[in-house]
Amino acid sequence: MTVYESDLPGVGKKFEVELNDGSQLVIVIHNTGKRELFLRESSDADSEKLFELSDRLARQVGTIMEGAYFQPIRTETIDTVLSDETLIEWVKLTAASPLVGKTLAESEVRQRIGVSVVAVQRGDQTISNPGAEFTVEEGDTLVVIGGQDACREFQEYATAGSSADE
Amino acid sequence: MAAMELWQVGVLFVGIAVAGAVATRVGLSVIPLYVVVGMLVGPNVLGRYASEFAVPAGDIVTILAEIGIVLLLFFLGLEFSLDRLLEAKRRITVAGLLDLGVNFPVGVGLGLLFGWSLLESVLLGGIVYISSSAVITKSLIDLGWIANSESEPMLGTLVFEDLFIAVYLAVVAALVGGSGGLETAAVDVGVAVAFLGVLLAGVWFGGPLFERVFDADSSELFVLRVLAVAVFVAGVALAIGVSEAVAAFFVGMGFSSTDHVERIERLLTPVRDIFAAVFFFYIGLGTDPLLVATTVGILAVAVVATTPTKLLSGFYSGRIYGLDDRRSLRVGLGMVTRGEFSLIIATVAATGNGPVMTQVIPAFAVGYVLVMSILGTVLMQYSEVLEGVLARRRSEAAG
Repeated sequence: MTVYESDLPGVGKKFEVELNDGSQLVIVIHNTGKRELFLRESSDADSEKLFELSDRLARQVGTIMEGAYFQPIRTETIDTVLSDETLIEWVKLTAASPLVGKTLAESEVRQRIGVSVVAVQRGDQTISNPGAEFTVEEGDTLVVIGGQDACREFQEYATAGSSADE
Repeated sequence: MAAMELWQVGVLFVGIAVAGAVATRVGLSVIPLYVVVGMLVGPNVLGRYASEFAVPAGDIVTILAEIGIVLLLFFLGLEFSLDRLLEAKRRITVAGLLDLGVNFPVGVGLGLLFGWSLLESVLLGGIVYISSSAVITKSLIDLGWIANSESEPMLGTLVFEDLFIAVYLAVVAALVGGSGGLETAAVDVGVAVAFLGVLLAGVWFGGPLFERVFDADSSELFVLRVLAVAVFVAGVALAIGVSEAVAAFFVGMGFSSTDHVERIERLLTPVRDIFAAVFFFYIGLGTDPLLVATTVGILAVAVVATTPTKLLSGFYSGRIYGLDDRRSLRVGLGMVTRGEFSLIIATVAATGNGPVMTQVIPAFAVGYVLVMSILGTVLMQYSEVLEGVLARRRSEAAG
């Protein structure tokens, strides 16, 4: 996927995203925060405006697209890159996970693996900065931050025992 | 001139509001409509029949309009990025020089042809050269061209024009304000350059200071500080004979390197829009349609001469950016619109001496901006028709 970025003096910025079928998605971000989305059938066609979103709405839609609220189960994890080395990773726990039923202190993920649990999503609730005595339950989504390798290791450990296609 | 009463300020805003609504309904730019409404309710039209109801072109409107100029140019500076100019400098410079080289001399030539002095002709050159950033950018967004490749040469050329107009205004304001004589003129230009040098140094070194001074939590304090700096610096500039518009442009540039740009745009855009609307209204107030009618001859010549030149320079600017014929034609059509800066140059001319500067040029500028902004907007809206004609021509030539 190629993304072209260009400045629109006095207006904002333009991002052109090559889609798989040869068409291009054009996103214009205005200085006011407004986002306009256009679709261009081919590189020499005119851009057809799809819709526009306010700054606030665009951020919400963006988060939904990113999969922060709901992630199709095929991929068990989502990760967001902070820098080349550091990731934020979401891991949803099944009943088989060795973490379920333990407190964070007991599972010692920070000491052994080197990732910190920064938030836990349970149903519609988000518990930020859970303490050492916090007990992890089945169905919790753990949001962890750590180095790339540590995150991989944590993901393997936390999802151990769950079948791959679940 | 009579003092202005609150209800007259009310009439002013009602007029602007109605003009804006009408313009949006019929799909035209708001700027010419603001001017027309100002003309209609001002002393020259309504004043002739029912002077007690007319809005006087009093001191208050003048001051509000001046704040409008200051904010227009302040925003121009704010959105003007030297880095951006340097980034795409080759294409912007080539397209910008082409635009300048084709359109400016045509205006100067026309002035000389009308038998005007060199300075008057140079003012005319500026009026017909400078395209309207406000109207063109808005049309680009309205038509959705902003997402197409033709928007890049257009916005790039506008950036070049903005920089040129800042320098140009500084020079002509000093020349027009000068009492004649080459020596005094040189001194005036010198003062202007020195003052702008001080401002530029402020822009260069003041970034961190601006950053700190304007780091106010409350939106109210923030807006007030920004307005205070812009209006105060511009006012001082005007008091010592330097163009307030140029000073405001430099202050805007000073802010463009800080983290406050986004906040200023969010909070001050409505303020700018209000005062800018008053500025266009004010231009209308001071315009006598009968006087515009007397310039209809030179107006016709200027429109006929300067529409094709912008089409031509725009078309080849598109080619410089590697666009095909159809999109290059759109660049040409889009650049035809003249607007706010032509009117600002006219207000500079109005401070000069002699009937050409004080009457003919301002009246001409109003008529010219009315025609060119409507013509330009309409050309952009109906570009498909012209694109079709161009395509047929090309295929006939090929076949």
